[in-house]
Order: sequence, then C-alpha cells, then structure tokens
Amino acid sequence: MRFFTATVLGLLTSGVAAATNLTTPSRLALPADFKPPQVFKNTNLVRNTNLEKGYVRETVNVVVENVDKQPQTDYYIPFPTDVFERVGGFEVRDKKAAEKGRFKVDVTEAAPSSDNQYFIVHLPEPLAPKSQITLGISYSVLNSLSPRPATIQQSDKQYLAYTFSAYVPSAYQTLTQKTKVKFPSTNVPDYTTTSDLKTGTDPERKGATYTYGPYDTAKVAPGTKYPITVRYEFTNPVTTVNLLERDLEVSHWGGNLATEDRYWLRNNGSELSSQFSRVDWTFSNYQRAPTSAVREITYPLKPGSVDPYFIDDIGNISTSRYRPGNGKTAANLELKPRYPIFGGWNYSFKVGWNNDLAAFLRETTTPDSWVLKVPLIQGFKASEGVQYERVVVRVVLPEGAHNVRFQTVEGSSSNGLPGDNQIHASLSSYKTFMDTLGRTTLTLEVDSLTDEARDAELIVTYDYTFMDALRKPLTIFGGLISVFVAIWAIGNIDVSIKKR
Amino acid sequence: MAQSSLDVLLKGSSGRNTRGLLRIIILLTIAAAAVASRLFSVIRFESIIHEFDPWFNFRATKYLVQNGFYSFWDWFDDRTWHPLGRVTGGTLYPGLMVTSGVIYHILSFLTIPVDIRNVCVLLAPGFSGLTALAMYLLTREMSHSPSAGLLAAAFMGITPGYISRSVAGSYDNEAIAIFLLVFTFFLWIKAVKNGSIMWGALTALFYGYMVSAWGGYVFITNLIPLHVFVLLCMGRYSSRLYISYTTWYALGTLGSMQIPFVGFLPIRNSDHMSALGVFGLIQLVAFAEFVRAYLPGKQFQKLLTSMVFLTFGLGLTGLILLSVTGVIAPWSGRFYSLWDTGYAKIHIPIIASVSEHQPTAWPAFFFDLNFLIWLFPAGVFMCFQNLKDEHVFVIIYAVLSSYFAGVMVRLMLTLTPIVCVAAALALSTILDSFLVMYKPTPESQAKANADKTAKSFSSTKNPVVGIYSYLSKGIVTGSLTIYLLMFVAHCTWVTSNAYSSPSVVLASRLPDGSQHIIDDYREAYYWLRQNTEDNAKIMSWWDYGYQIGGMADRPTLVDNNTWNNTHIATVGKAMSSREEVSYPILRQHDVDYVLVVFGGLLGYSGDDLNKFLWMVRIAEGIWPDEVKERDFFTARGEYRVDDEATPTMKNSLMYKMSYYNYNSLFPAGQAVDRVRGVRLPAESPKLDTLEEAFTSENWIIRIFKVKDLDNFGRDHSNAVAFDKGLKRKRATKKKGPRVLRTE
Repeated sequence: MRFFTATVLGLLTSGVAAATNLTTPSRLALPADFKPPQVFKNTNLVRNTNLEKGYVRETVNVVVENVDKQPQTDYYIPFPTDVFERVGGFEVRDKKAAEKGRFKVDVTEAAPSSDNQYFIVHLPEPLAPKSQITLGISYSVLNSLSPRPATIQQSDKQYLAYTFSAYVPSAYQTLTQKTKVKFPSTNVPDYTTTSDLKTGTDPERKGATYTYGPYDTAKVAPGTKYPITVRYEFTNPVTTVNLLERDLEVSHWGGNLATEDRYWLRNNGSELSSQFSRVDWTFSNYQRAPTSAVREITYPLKPGSVDPYFIDDIGNISTSRYRPGNGKTAANLELKPRYPIFGGWNYSFKVGWNNDLAAFLRETTTPDSWVLKVPLIQGFKASEGVQYERVVVRVVLPEGAHNVRFQTVEGSSSNGLPGDNQIHASLSSYKTFMDTLGRTTLTLEVDSLTDEARDAELIVTYDYTFMDALRKPLTIFGGLISVFVAIWAIGNIDVSIKKR
Repeated sequence: MAQSSLDVLLKGSSGRNTRGLLRIIILLTIAAAAVASRLFSVIRFESIIHEFDPWFNFRATKYLVQNGFYSFWDWFDDRTWHPLGRVTGGTLYPGLMVTSGVIYHILSFLTIPVDIRNVCVLLAPGFSGLTALAMYLLTREMSHSPSAGLLAAAFMGITPGYISRSVAGSYDNEAIAIFLLVFTFFLWIKAVKNGSIMWGALTALFYGYMVSAWGGYVFITNLIPLHVFVLLCMGRYSSRLYISYTTWYALGTLGSMQIPFVGFLPIRNSDHMSALGVFGLIQLVAFAEFVRAYLPGKQFQKLLTSMVFLTFGLGLTGLILLSVTGVIAPWSGRFYSLWDTGYAKIHIPIIASVSEHQPTAWPAFFFDLNFLIWLFPAGVFMCFQNLKDEHVFVIIYAVLSSYFAGVMVRLMLTLTPIVCVAAALALSTILDSFLVMYKPTPESQAKANADKTAKSFSSTKNPVVGIYSYLSKGIVTGSLTIYLLMFVAHCTWVTSNAYSSPSVVLASRLPDGSQHIIDDYREAYYWLRQNTEDNAKIMSWWDYGYQIGGMADRPTLVDNNTWNNTHIATVGKAMSSREEVSYPILRQHDVDYVLVVFGGLLGYSGDDLNKFLWMVRIAEGIWPDEVKERDFFTARGEYRVDDEATPTMKNSLMYKMSYYNYNSLFPAGQAVDRVRGVRLPAESPKLDTLEEAFTSENWIIRIFKVKDLDNFGRDHSNAVAFDKGLKRKRATKKKGPRVLRTE
C-alpha cells in the first residue's frame, strides 16, 4: 500500500485554498516532432486479449532491454489518439515483483505530428545498459467492440467484432511477439487468417483461445500495423454506464454512512431490427433463453446494509428484491429494470442504502483525526462485465472536516483503477440539513473504468474536532432562541389605533 | 387532596387556561390524525403523485420551481396540445403551485433538502390539518359550546367526503381549496358579526387566494351574496352587513381579477352577476335607510316604490342588452349541467364522459359521510332555533350544497364542511345535555320556569332543565359513543380501501397474501422517456395526456385540460376510423407513437375499449357524417368485440391496436378478453400503417409506432403484402375511400 501524498488545505479553518494534488491530472505537452528516444528494445512480447466481457481487457508482458549507453527510466507506450481516451485502468508493474506495486505513469497530450498519444512509465530504478526488466502492462479498452450485424431480431444471437493489429503497437523495436485472444465461447464465425507472417497456420486455435504468432518482427519498423478482425458470439448485453454518480455521506452524529449511486446506463449491443415484441419476450423469458438484453441487475452490498431503495425519475421500481444476508455474508440487491434493456436502449436509475458508520470509520492515534475506508465504486455484478465511461464519486464529510487527503488501496494485483495522479480530485462545500458552512465534499472523477474496479477501496483521512461537531446544535439553538425573542418582541408592540 | 388539586386546575382563571391548553392539545391531535389518516397510500405504495390532474399540477410546480415565478406566469407550453400548444400560465389556477413553490423555497432557505415531489405529495394532508383547525374556528362562531367546534374539527379531519380529495399524493386544487373555503367562510362570519373592515378585508384576501387556487371559488362568489340577500329580505340590514359586504366585494373582486385565468370574468360572466347585483342592492338599501332617517313615512314610501321600479327596470334592460350584445358571457356548459343532469349527455359529451361529473348515487352520501348525514338535518334544524345571521348562512349553505352534491359526485366535497358543522352542532347539543353528572333539582326547574322569556319560536318556550335519570344519560351517551366509534372505523376503512390507491400503480394479492404491484403505466412511460426522441409526439386518449407529460416527458396531442373539443374529437376520429382514414390524420399531426390502454389480459376494466364509445361520440359531435356511433353496435344494439363485432368496430384503429397480436399469447382460437369476458376472433387484426413498438408486462399499455411513408411510394397495405410475399392485388376492384397521401 502506497500513501499518495495528496495534501489538502485546511479548507475551513485556514480558509486558504492551497490544495497541492487535488487538481486536474496534467498532461505533458509534446514537441511537434516528438519521437520516443529509441533507447529500449522489446526482446519478447506476449499480449493476452480477453474478449470474454463486454469490453476488451489486455495484458501485455514484455521483456525490455536497455540498448542505450546511459541508464534509462522512461518507457513510452503508444496508443492511437482515438483509442487513448477509452483506455481505462492503465497499470504497469514489474512482472517479477508484482507485489511492489505499480509504477508511476504519466500521460501526454496528442503530438501534432503523429496520431499517437503516450503513457510514460517511470521505472522506479533506472535500468542499466544491457540489463532487462519484464513489464506487466494491463489495461482495458472501452467501446471498442462493435456489434455485427448491427441490428438483430429479438431472439437472435448477437455477434461482436473486434479489430486490432497483429503487431502490438510499441514505440520500440520488438524481436518476437504473439497475441493470444480469448473468446467467451468457441463460436467464432469469422476471423482473419494471416498467410505471410509466419510459417504454419495462423492463428492457432485451441478451444476458445486463438493465438496469433509468434512472429519474428526484428525487421519490422515500430508502429507497423497489420489489421486483424475477429467476430464472435456474445449473446449478452454490452452494458455501458455513461455516467455513474456516487455519493457517500458520512454522518458522525447519526453514526451512518449513506450511499447513493445514480446510473445512466445503455446497452451498446445490437439494436432490434424490428420493434420490441412482448410475446416473444414473454416466451423467451419463460425459457430463460440467453439474450442480448439486460434482464436483471444483481447488486452485492456489504453485510449490514439496510434501507435499500431502487428508484428512477418517476418513482419506486417495484420489481426489486433485497436479500439482507446474515452476519458475514454479503447482502444482495436484485433489481429488475422496468423493461428489458435491449441494444441501443437507455435506462437510468438510483440505488441507495445505509450502513453503520463504525464499520468504515475509525479515529487514528492522533486525536480528532479520522480515517474512512469505503468501497470506491462497488457497482453491480454481471458476468458479462460492465464498462463505466465516467465515474464521479462524492464523499460528503461532516461539516467542518478539514485537512482532507485520499488514497486508493492497492494490492499485489491490479485494482482496475488508473494511478492516483490520473484521478481528478477536488474539494467543495455542500449545504444540506441546516448547515451553516456546508459540508466538506471530496469529489473524485475518473474516466473509463470497468467493473474490475468493483473491489477497489478508497481511504480518506480528515480532521474533525469536537467543536466542529457542536456547531450544528448550537446554530439550531441560537436560531430558535432568536425566533422566540423576535416573537416576544413583536408581541409587545402595540399596534392598536384605540386610545388606551 | 386529588379533588382540590383538580379544582385548582379546573376552576377560576387557571381553569380557563387549562381548558385552553387542553383545547390546543386536542386540536393538534385532531390535525395529526387528519394528516396521519391520509398517509395510507404513502405507506402502502410510495410517495407518488396520484391519478391524472395532479400530474399536471406537479409538472407545473416543477416548472415554477426551476424557472421562477415570472416565466411560470408567461409559460407557453409547446409540449401539450401539439401543434397548438397551450398558454399554460394564463389558463391555470396558480394557487396550488405557488403554495408548494413557496414551501419548497422556505425549506431550501433553511437548507432542508426536500424533493419538490415530496412537498407536492404531502401538501394535501398538511392542508387538511389546517382545514380541521379552520373548521373549529368556523363552528365556534355558530355555537356557544366549544365542544361543537372540536367535534366539527374531528369530523372534518377524518370524514371520507373530504379525504377522497386530499390523500397524500392527490395533488389537486381541492387540496388547498377546501381549507381556503372553510377559512374564508369563517372570516366572513367574523366580519358579519363584528362589522369590521379588518375582517372583511381578510375575507377578501383569502377569497383572492381561493380564486387563485380553484375554479370552485364561484361557490363563495355566489354564496356570500346570497347570504346577504337573504338577510336583506329578512329585514336584517345593518351597518355591520354593509361594511363587511362592501369591503369584501370591492377588495375581493379586485383580488380575483389579478389571476390571468379569471381576468375580467367577475364583471362579464353571468356566474358572477349575483355578487355584483347584491352589491348594487345593498347600496340602494343603505341609501334607503339613510333617506328614511330624514324623511316622513309617506314620502319615503312613494320614493321607495318608484325607486324599486326604476332600478329593476333599468337593471333588467341593462342585463338583457349586455347579454344580447355578448358583453356578459352566457352561462357555461358545466353550469347548465348543474340544473339539468341530462344536459351534458346531449350537448357536451366531453363533460359527461368524466365519471366525477355524474349525478351522485344515494349510497355515496352514506359512504362519504356516514352518520353525519342523518345528524345533518338535525343540526340545520337547530340553526333555525336561534336564528342569528351566521345561522342563516349555515342554512343557505346547507340547502345549496345539498342540491349540488346530488347533481355531481365531485361536489360532495363542498357539502362536507357544512355537514360537519351541522352534525357537530347537533351532536354537541345532545352531549351537552346528556354528558353531565349534574342532576337538576326541583328548585332549579322552578327557577328555569321563572326565567322563561318571550322567544319567537315555540320550541324554545320551554327551557331545557336537564336530564334526571342516569340511565337515560348512560344509554344516550353510550349509543352516541358507539356511533362515534363506528364512524371512526368506517372512515378508516373507506380511506384505506377506496381512496388510497394512486391509480398509477395497481395492487394485487399473490396467492401467499403478499402484495404484488402492477406497474405497467410507469414501465411504458419510462420506456417512452428513455428510448424515444425527446420530441416524439405521443397520441393517446386525453385521459393519459397529463401522465404522459409528467412521467414520459413527451409532447402529447390532447390532455386532461380538454380546452379544445375539436382537437380531442380529431383524436377520437383517428382512433375510431379505418387505418386509411387515420393514417393521414396521424401524419398531419406529426404523431410518432400512439398509446392505448388495454386491460384484456389482466381484466383491468378502465381501458380504452371501454371508453371507446365516448371517443366515438365526441368525434361524431364534430364529424357526424364520418363517425357514427350506431355503426359500432351490432344489429341487436350490442357493443361487441368478438366474432360478431361490426365491421366498423373491427376496422377501427382502436380495436386493431388493442388486439394486435394478442391471440399469439393463447393456444390457437382460444384468445380471451378478460374484461369483456368474450372469446376473440381466431385471427389477429392486421396493422399496415403502425407497428408495435412496446407493450408493457401485463399488456396494459401498448405503444405503436407510426410508420414513415414507404420508400417506394407504395401505400402501406401493399408494402406489407409485398413483404409477406403475397401476390399483388389487381387495382381494378378498389373499394373504400382513396388513400390520401400527405407530404
């Protein structure tokens, strides 16, 4: 676990806004004719492309060798500009020492000369000349699967197409490389076969895994493309959350953590070629036939979650069920949308619940300093995966909380989040329930996430004194007293026009 | 000891304080009970706006809160009555929306986060608590016994006649209007009693508020002048009456004219003429009184006679002239239907088609008022006993509203307050006589006889002495207690069973007794909201217009405002005609989707096929040559939807949309309509110009998309036939009207 030094102003006590790291993640501007310095060589590269879910998940393991005479620290990873914004949860580790945590990664602006944008990986220790390091690069690419055919009948199978380059895009020369593509099933009606890249059949098929390569690409210039398209069955919804707004409200007085998630959801699968037929849906639903529509949403909650609700713009959705779970087992909120969400259809809803704050908050050894550990996005669970285009998490801290810092928890494997420096964090004040100053609110904004980040946790530390806690009772007391005094004073005024 | 400490509390000035405190506590408890008994629907379902009209009020309130008062005032709504639009700001009573807007802004000023929906849902229960308090004040003016006021407040709080329009979620004008009605009457009585300009002005103020809130203000506009007129006829002219009436009329009329929807009606509409007339009359009477003080009797007599003739003649000619030239608007249709219950059915089917405009059935009185209805005449009789000015008011109010309540179901609402007053008067008199420990002694009887004074009514000549026997006291009190308890039980039962259903959501019971919610309306509306173009025009029968506007947020052709009968008839014609006739209508009105309500699968009787005849009738009113009600009945005069349905019926768009593809749910030839309890034809109707877009889970809502024009310029029936691979029919034997292609 690495503590991210996001020092924050004492927002309310000092009144000076001087947050150092709670700002927009900056992007490095590149000179117009920028080319990554050719200081590395990829001796071996294996890319695993996982298409089992509604988005593309890739892990690239690459053995990197320093071919320069100086020790080098910055390794560039290119992506085409149109893909770059859809790359989510980008993470690089030392493959041999994954538990040491992720490397620091910066991003660049698009360079005018090329159509690439780069992730710059900063190796923690400079790589000496001639020595090697194995990088494990993992990320997901959102919205890169297109349904083919684009429109289907209601009970037809759905197929997705994915296009990628047989040569893994890299800024450096690569000696050998191969790509393994994992499909959700063996039903892959169309895929590109290469003839001139290597001897023997390409790809090699083994169950639902297709392997392109290995290719000997020592002679191929970096950035060469060889497009490959695969089309495979995916009769599942391609659930896309256009926007998730999540509010976590901490109440010290009530001992309560209130959570509300607001979803704007869309199914990016094949659209219906003719209109929706209730008869067909009733019958296929009865047989539990696989479908490209979202039929149900399962929402696991922490044990001890109470008062769940499931509403949308026009009120309660009566087709939900809550299984509270007992003691240690997680609770489950089973939600059925008002209508099945077919390809191209939208749905927006809110879910919310309460938790006992004691399970999430504790006071540190320093007095008046608190640590809050909460799930960052939680989200619903679906075997076919969920992609989040944009997530906005608001942590509403009690009125008067100051000196706010945050960090995300990391384990030995990827938590699905980008580095903390890629999370846009800001502090604001939010007035509710007779607040005078407003509650300190930490807002975190992340783009392009997937449901791999479901288990990611957020730690927020802040200072909150006893006097801060007393502010509201005193304000209300003062307010009522002034009302009574005003009434008494007005009651004593003689407004009669009679003579007394 | 206990006795003496009680004495300290109950006697003398501290006794007065104790009773005052008790009264406040009782009133607050009554208000709390009134609010609580209206929350059935929130607890059983959710905090949701009910029925139809409230959805418009809710939408308007949201608009007010979001855009501010002035843009609300100038609101032109282009999302209703497409393509006409509606000048909403000038055609609504803004009182309700402004009230909830003000409450919302106060709460947000105090930074209490309340959803505007919750303000709207809970407004009616909140105001019913206030109504109970106003009722207490009004009744206290009628009786010396404070218990009458408390009883009236309690009755008003829980009587179903009022609850029917004020449960939580029933966000309609009546929600605040009944409070304003009662409170205005209280202020009026106060004004008449005191002859005070202040009370008169307050009456005018609340009258103005009432005008801004509900069209039923006309009731006050006519009742107060009638009260004054009767008092004048009884020879009870006084300066008190003059002051209070002139103050009220001048200020109140000015106030009411500030509402754009009312505007100049108070001086141009026949409904308001009685107030103006009485205003003139009271000036004459005042002048006559003034002159009489200075003239000898004989001359005064002459002057009076000539003046009466002159005024009457002038007034009558003026009125006739103004009516003929059209300066004074003629009586409105709703007004006529108040006097002739058959009027609407013949002339204005759109009024008659609303169930709340039907004449009241007798059991409804007992259902809504329970034992109050038989205490009511007794109470009115007691008003005759000591006939002060305010009692005259009660009598007039009772007579008028009894009649109106008999004519229209919804006017039960205006009857309820006076029933509560009268019943409370009667009951409190009984309780005051019987619920006392005190036993009269012979001396007190003698004393009472000695006190006998000359009163005008024979019934009061023998003063009440008291009841001797504890047994009769016990029996009377006991039976009354039982009646009261039964009343409470009845009110709770009626509220919970009859008046607490949101009607947007239907509840049913599963075999295990748990509640199952049928939520088809919102399912379909939400589908429309999420998955159609923001500007997609939805055509449906006008009943659902407000709900589509509120929940689906899509433009509609017609809605519950029903201001344009022709437009509604156009929709009726589109629904009741053949596809070839309907399609051009749909195209001309930019309709993208057509929404119908179909209860056949579930046995939901309030569906469009059951309302269909009204559509036909309204359309027939405008196009008697093209739509004929007779064609929808079989030769034997039956309204059928099965095999024997008439061809007109089977070809009508409504029939086709309702049953389209319905039989594929059933084994061949066994499709059954559960509402009408008939077996349907084996073949599904064919739709050429529309396609099914969405059908809700229980088939209650069916939405059809209007097809675009065919790419090859064929008409739709040919295109569909071609797609099915049928051979093209020769165009030689062409039947029916030529298809009108638009665009």
